[in-house]
Amino acid sequence: MRIVVAYTRRMLKILRSEVLVLPSRVAVLVFVIAILALPLVTQDYYILRIMILTSIFAILAASWDLLSGFTGQMNFGHALFFGVSAYVTALLNLNLGFPPYFSIPLGAMGAVLTGLIVGIPCLRLKGSYLALTTLAFPIILMGIVFAIPGITGGELGLSGLTKLTGSRVNDYYVTSILMLVLGGIMWKITDSNTGIILHAIREDEVAARAAGINTTRYKLLAFCLSGFFAGIAGGLYAHFMRLAGPSTLEIGLSFQVIIWSVFGGMVSIYGPIAGVYILNPFMEVLRVILDNFPSLPEMRMFIFAALVLLTLRFMPEGLIPWLRDKVETECPRCKVRNVAFRRSCRICNAAMT
Amino acid sequence: MLLDVSNLTVCYDRAMLINDVSLYVEEGEMVSLVGPNGAGKSTLLRAITGLVAWDKMTLKGTAEGDITLKGNIVFDGKDISKTPAHEIVRRGLVHCPERRRPFKEMTVRENLMSGAYLHMKKWDVQQELEKVFKLFPVLGDRLNQVSGTLSGGEQQMLAVGRALMSRPKLLLIDEPSTGLAPLMRKEVFNKILEIKNLGITIMLVEQEVASVFSMASRSYVLSSGKIIAQGKCSELLEDEMIRRTYLGL
Repeated sequence: MRIVVAYTRRMLKILRSEVLVLPSRVAVLVFVIAILALPLVTQDYYILRIMILTSIFAILAASWDLLSGFTGQMNFGHALFFGVSAYVTALLNLNLGFPPYFSIPLGAMGAVLTGLIVGIPCLRLKGSYLALTTLAFPIILMGIVFAIPGITGGELGLSGLTKLTGSRVNDYYVTSILMLVLGGIMWKITDSNTGIILHAIREDEVAARAAGINTTRYKLLAFCLSGFFAGIAGGLYAHFMRLAGPSTLEIGLSFQVIIWSVFGGMVSIYGPIAGVYILNPFMEVLRVILDNFPSLPEMRMFIFAALVLLTLRFMPEGLIPWLRDKVETECPRCKVRNVAFRRSCRICNAAMT
Repeated sequence: MLLDVSNLTVCYDRAMLINDVSLYVEEGEMVSLVGPNGAGKSTLLRAITGLVAWDKMTLKGTAEGDITLKGNIVFDGKDISKTPAHEIVRRGLVHCPERRRPFKEMTVRENLMSGAYLHMKKWDVQQELEKVFKLFPVLGDRLNQVSGTLSGGEQQMLAVGRALMSRPKLLLIDEPSTGLAPLMRKEVFNKILEIKNLGITIMLVEQEVASVFSMASRSYVLSSGKIIAQGKCSELLEDEMIRRTYLGL
């Protein structure tokens, strides 16, 4: 009992001194609590379905940010990892009867392998050449999928997978908690020494090599890591929708990932996650609203595009970094972040200008 | 002999950039490499540290042509002409590239850490950092500053500091004085002398011949990819033709 009290007290102390001092940390805390508490508020089938898909896409967007944002390897075909994993998961589940907790990690391993296969020829390419090459891979795979309908189900895809879990609420908790955990892991990776190396590769590959960094290895590592996380998302998607179809390989999905990430703010991991959590439910709400006005032409994509364009016009770094700079300032002396209204730095007491 | 380059030839497609160059660096000395623009000084350094081979890959990717590299490069008793760049750094031959090239969005600390990346597990990185700060107190003051906001001179010191973090035996410094005010140049050169006094062998590429010749013991004069003169700096200065044509003194 005493241990519990002491532990709680310590947690509260950390909460007060480390979390509550910064709006961004409070926002993350509120976000986590809101995600976990949502089923207590509503168990609406439709809302939960949207939130499940949102959390799956959030993993996907964050994994894109790890590869393209952090390492600077512009990937325009991120749906490849998603699709490969969805198909591998589906094949394992349908043909060999693997349960989801087995087939999804194996599907993700398939995506890692894809990351290696794609990564090796892409090592030599940079910028727009890399973007165009990666764009081609999902299209190639789609051709293969259509070519062998006996295995892949052709245009209809593979359907009838085992359900992720028994109930929708459980599905929601599995995907959301996985999103939080994987998002945390990705953020931790970018914050570690590996993160510094990936950052160095993004900024100046020659200088990184001159500093003794094996850029080949780390670029491949970035491809594999990103493939793994995207693969988890793909496997979850396949089991949740109980379907792995060619739509998981579509160019539209690849670009959607980029739009989410750029909208939310690249090179931050939390930016793309926030981008998905804002844009995806927003699109659904828009659909519901616009359904009440059947006389209007199809306005959904137009409003979406206008919103994204306006955001990028006024917040070129993305929504979340822009917001963060509004509510927090950096101490001029020790470079620690502070709430914008503080007069002096919370660490070194230097005057904030 | 710490570094021994013999009959090195580098061709980009059919253009010969380095033509049959041989040079050596003894342990503990400071050698300079001077020459006019376009003589191939930077290419020579890049060829030695394996960065040209990297170009080869990218140039092939963009279909601009092939690079051929012939000759022997022996460092510390081992041939390194086919070793990848990161492995060369591991063996203690570190290249501090031209135009400084710090990672501009990273903080000073992260920049320095990326230099020690190869040895993060083996060495006490903190001790290494302190050595660099002793040499460059400015960097210690700006530890958490984003390096893109440093002045040119500070960025140069950061680039040298990053190279020092890899514990070099031989440090190749490419044009440290580019774009610096005269006073800053002097300071950078003083720092390089200090590094030499720490026992690190240095090969310095520079345009500003006067300052370099007062520091280095020997020098090579490179022109159009060929070494046209070499020897003690004082002897080179005596040769009227070389002085006028290549050194501009």
